[in-house]
Amino acid sequence: MDILSSLAIGFAAALTPINLMWGFIGCLLGTAIGVLPGIGPALTVALLLPITAKVDPTGALIMFAGIYYGAQFGGSTTSILLNTPGESSSMVTALEGNLMARNGRAGPALATAAIGSFVAGTIATVLLTLFAPIVATLALKFGPAEYFAILVLSFTTVSAVLGASMLRGFASLGIGLTIGLIGLDSTSGIARYTLGVPELVDGIEVVLVAVGLFAVGEALYSLLYQKEEASGRHRLTSLWMTRADWKRSIPAWLRGTLIGFPFGSIPAGGAEIPTFLSYSAERKLSKFPKEFAGSKGEGAIEGVAGPEAANNASATGSLVPLLTLGIPTSATAAILLAAFQNYNLQPGPMLFQTSGDLVWTLVASLYIGNVILLVLNLPLVGLWVKLLQIPRPYLNAGILVFATIGVYGMRHSSFDLLLMLAIGWGGVLMRRFDFPVAPVIVGMLLGPMAEKQLRNALSISEGDWMIFLTQPIAASFLALTLLVLIVPHLLHARGIKLHEDD
Amino acid sequence: MNQTRKILPVQLAIGLGVVAISTVLALGAYRFPEEMGFVILGAHVYPYALAVFLGVVGLLLCYQAVTGGFRELADHEDESAKALPGGKLGAAWVTAGLVGVAVLINLIGFVLAAGLLFVCSARGFGSRRPVRDLAIGIALTLPIYWLFNAGLGVSLPPLINAWI
Repeated sequence: MDILSSLAIGFAAALTPINLMWGFIGCLLGTAIGVLPGIGPALTVALLLPITAKVDPTGALIMFAGIYYGAQFGGSTTSILLNTPGESSSMVTALEGNLMARNGRAGPALATAAIGSFVAGTIATVLLTLFAPIVATLALKFGPAEYFAILVLSFTTVSAVLGASMLRGFASLGIGLTIGLIGLDSTSGIARYTLGVPELVDGIEVVLVAVGLFAVGEALYSLLYQKEEASGRHRLTSLWMTRADWKRSIPAWLRGTLIGFPFGSIPAGGAEIPTFLSYSAERKLSKFPKEFAGSKGEGAIEGVAGPEAANNASATGSLVPLLTLGIPTSATAAILLAAFQNYNLQPGPMLFQTSGDLVWTLVASLYIGNVILLVLNLPLVGLWVKLLQIPRPYLNAGILVFATIGVYGMRHSSFDLLLMLAIGWGGVLMRRFDFPVAPVIVGMLLGPMAEKQLRNALSISEGDWMIFLTQPIAASFLALTLLVLIVPHLLHARGIKLHEDD
Repeated sequence: MNQTRKILPVQLAIGLGVVAISTVLALGAYRFPEEMGFVILGAHVYPYALAVFLGVVGLLLCYQAVTGGFRELADHEDESAKALPGGKLGAAWVTAGLVGVAVLINLIGFVLAAGLLFVCSARGFGSRRPVRDLAIGIALTLPIYWLFNAGLGVSLPPLINAWI
């Protein structure tokens, strides 16, 4: 079946009232948590994982995708109006957009962010529609050796590229891989590292770790180290963009999309790098370099349009490796993988064949979700801003209550709640000393998969380790891994830094 | 970044902690039971490899901790950055609330335990009106309770235990 007819069937399924409703709820929730500080998409999807027990896979996954997307839309609102980036990927928006808001141009900044997100999301979804089936077909040829090599590459990129220090990234990854080891070994049936605690035989749930790190850890960290900023909120101005605004925004949106999508779809971890790249590209290309924050200007609209497009496109791009290879490249994608696994669906090349209708319905829902989000965000932006009036004690207490319910609801264990608290304190330490968190989640989810593929590969080769070097695809992935490790050092030695934030 | 050659105790402890995890991994793998039949790569090989990896990472962290501190830390994450005044007390309230919920949830039921957590956390974040907080907490928890139990089929422990 060709792509268009598959997509048409997907649209038919996504447009049923019930699936539209799930998409709408997802976008609504996503925008809300994007606006609210202290709660992000990874945590929200993790807390909502229990619904996989009741809701059918299509509906639940449409909702989760809506949350993932919506958070990117909502995040820009807070960044522009309050200068408090909800996520690291909206840091640039906070910089440039807030400057615009301070100079009375909050409206156009919000408009270019929302329309840019829509444009980028839609183009990226078209790219996803075109490329995902091709990647899936290629990936069908992969055996265990190739999978192991890809996993090694993903581990390396997720921990080495993100964050300031490769060493601390590797420490996070190692801890994630260690957590993944706990429990029954699926090949030999041996219980490993349970330390005699019966609760640990089943392993540690990814939800527990995510909630511990993102909800409990964040709450404690903000109490201990984050000064409450008394930054005044900027008033909304008319959302109307002038002709000049459009003229400057459109090329920036397109460039942002082209930078964001590929970075999302390779396992290079997260939306940070593409947003920074897009920002510096816009700064270099702009005809009005004096308006940028770096030149003490009044805020340049390109500096909001490009990065916002880039971060949305990269979110969509990250669905390519997730759906075709089963490899998440961000914390939220990792939790989405857990959602698939709850349904006994294994994302990967086979998914397009065994659950083609589900995949295409999900893709169609992305197109629809983008429209819903544009409608939800632009005219209703004033409503979302009201959410920020929830007092900080109640917002945080509410998040913690939800976290407790999510973790306790899994298997009614007080032990799990104490473990969540312990992981939360671990998260405080990690935040404090700048250890990245995403490698922990990715490591604990993909570690067991890597070990299994390694064993399978060696069984096929009858114990010959050379299989990883003699198989061309596997060998090239491993060569790429080496490059990822070496290139930043070379660049650094020559005085070039990956993300300049001057 | 701290350029003086002073040993930074917390960072050194983190490095040693990573080394300790590596040791636990290696010791644990050594003690795995013997596997039956023909095994190409046993259950202990991958943990051993991970132990070596974490051992090296941990030692490097220790090295950085005694030679000026972790590299490339953002300014506010410098060792000299102290916790906010009142931050520790707030964190203690939140911690107490979470421990309380873990201990009490099976005794006093879901709604009361979660309500208590809400009060403690709100207090940690600066609220000074426990009675109002409890009312809000319970008003928030009740609908969640019904939603999870009836809507999603996730059974939570009793609303309020029968003997209360």
